[in-house]
Amino acid sequence: MKKRDDVLVGLVMAVAIGVAIIGSLWLARGGLSKGYPLYAKFPWNSGLKQGQPVLLAGVNVGYVDEVELRQDGTVLTTFRVGDEYKVPQGTVATVVPNGIFGDMAIALTPRAPNRNSIPPNDTVPVGPSAPGIAQITGKADSIATSVNAITSAFEGQLVDDGGARDLRRALATSNALMINMNRLVSQFAAIAAEQNRQLTATQASFRQATSGIDSAKIDSTLRNMRETSANLATLSADFRQTSARLDSLIVKINQGTGTVGMALNDPGAYNDLRAVLHRMDSLLADVKRDPRRYINLKVF
Amino acid sequence: MKRSIAGSLSRIGERGYFLRDIGRGLKDPKTYGVETIRQMRNIGVDSLPLTIIVAAFIGAVTAFQTRYQLFGGVQLSVVGLISRQSIVLELGPLLTGLVLTGRVGARITAELGTMRVTEQIDALETLAYDPVAYLIVPRLIAAIIMLPILVIFANAIGVGTAFLTAVVATDVTGAAFSEGLRLAFAPFQIVYSLIKATLFGAAIAFFCSYEGFTTTAGAEGVGRSTAQAVVITSVAILVLDALTALLLAPYLQA
Repeated sequence: MKKRDDVLVGLVMAVAIGVAIIGSLWLARGGLSKGYPLYAKFPWNSGLKQGQPVLLAGVNVGYVDEVELRQDGTVLTTFRVGDEYKVPQGTVATVVPNGIFGDMAIALTPRAPNRNSIPPNDTVPVGPSAPGIAQITGKADSIATSVNAITSAFEGQLVDDGGARDLRRALATSNALMINMNRLVSQFAAIAAEQNRQLTATQASFRQATSGIDSAKIDSTLRNMRETSANLATLSADFRQTSARLDSLIVKINQGTGTVGMALNDPGAYNDLRAVLHRMDSLLADVKRDPRRYINLKVF
Repeated sequence: MKRSIAGSLSRIGERGYFLRDIGRGLKDPKTYGVETIRQMRNIGVDSLPLTIIVAAFIGAVTAFQTRYQLFGGVQLSVVGLISRQSIVLELGPLLTGLVLTGRVGARITAELGTMRVTEQIDALETLAYDPVAYLIVPRLIAAIIMLPILVIFANAIGVGTAFLTAVVATDVTGAAFSEGLRLAFAPFQIVYSLIKATLFGAAIAFFCSYEGFTTTAGAEGVGRSTAQAVVITSVAILVLDALTALLLAPYLQA
């Protein structure tokens, strides 16, 4: 009996201790395997703690093993990745919120598929961190503060500095202006009605005047005008023909063909004409000087 | 009023003397060594089925209740997180302690009370045996050792049934529950649970042994002592639970 008690108690204790150890390891690391270490330097206030998950492209592949605070403003984070997972070269590590309770995780984001993987004990470059719940809350808080300040300023302007009173006064003035405009519009409408009436009367008079014109005379006049127009067209055609003939004549003269052209364009003829004129000049002078030499007029 | 205060102080003092006698009894391992194994069997191994049943129901109900208290939009992995924290930090140790108060504590009080009223303890004293070293110390050691062992089982079974209930009876997936189960886990949370279990085991053994050891007035006294022991131990467990939380809860964050 005593021996059986020992065995039973020992068995129960051994199983319990095993359950406690394996359970704790499973909860903390996801299993007995430790995986291989990688490092990343995150800025202070990243919110990382031991045991937080490591996600590779959204898949849980490891956990944060150690967080070391450094004086250069960074936190050296050692995280372990399961042996079955390879982190591609070019992967960037960022700290991202995990759930709604402010927990954080390391997100490993590969830039592109790459067969080469980051070797164990290497440092993964760090990318910009996503805003956490606390940062978002802080932003919302600052926005709320700004809105509150704007509301206060608006209230001060509107209530304390008499803005509301001015606004009421402006509204009253606008109301009076609207009444005056309404009155003006009514007057315009009356004027327009009078103008309309007069225009109608003018149109009636015009219709009456036009009804008195003899349409036969108008037709005759129009017919005469049409004939005159046709004569003018014929005349114009004759002018055009004459002009063409004159053009060809001028072209012939310019080209020096024909009698007139040769006379006008031949320098010899010109010189002869000058010589003739010169001689006629001297002849006339001679006649004036001694007319009897040339004119022997005897009456008796 | 003065008499009442004096009576309370007297009762505290008597328990102080009893604690001193236990300390003296610890110096005599030959007397309590063999008996301790037997008590570990009685207190620990024989209580295992009851502990497992209680833990299984606690886990199932916790997961189920947690799932249906979540408002829309909350990720379902929270069910795993809340189930783990509720069972490991609170319900596992506390309910195991209270259940064992009824099963083990009442038995200790009844055994020792009966031995007292039938003068078996007096006979041990006559035979130059230290009754505290022979009867109380083995029970105390056995309870201090076996309560954490039972709580480990209770936690594991509780979390396991919570997982099964969440996956089978609700829309929580196994992966989501496991993710929540691992979220913000710190090994100290297990240690915290075991510290509580150790304190509860010591309280069960100490208060129930004292009530049984000081039983008077025959069979009626045994019944009265047993009832009183269960009440005092239950209150003591709740007080210790609150004190532990006050002192150690700040260190629980991952």
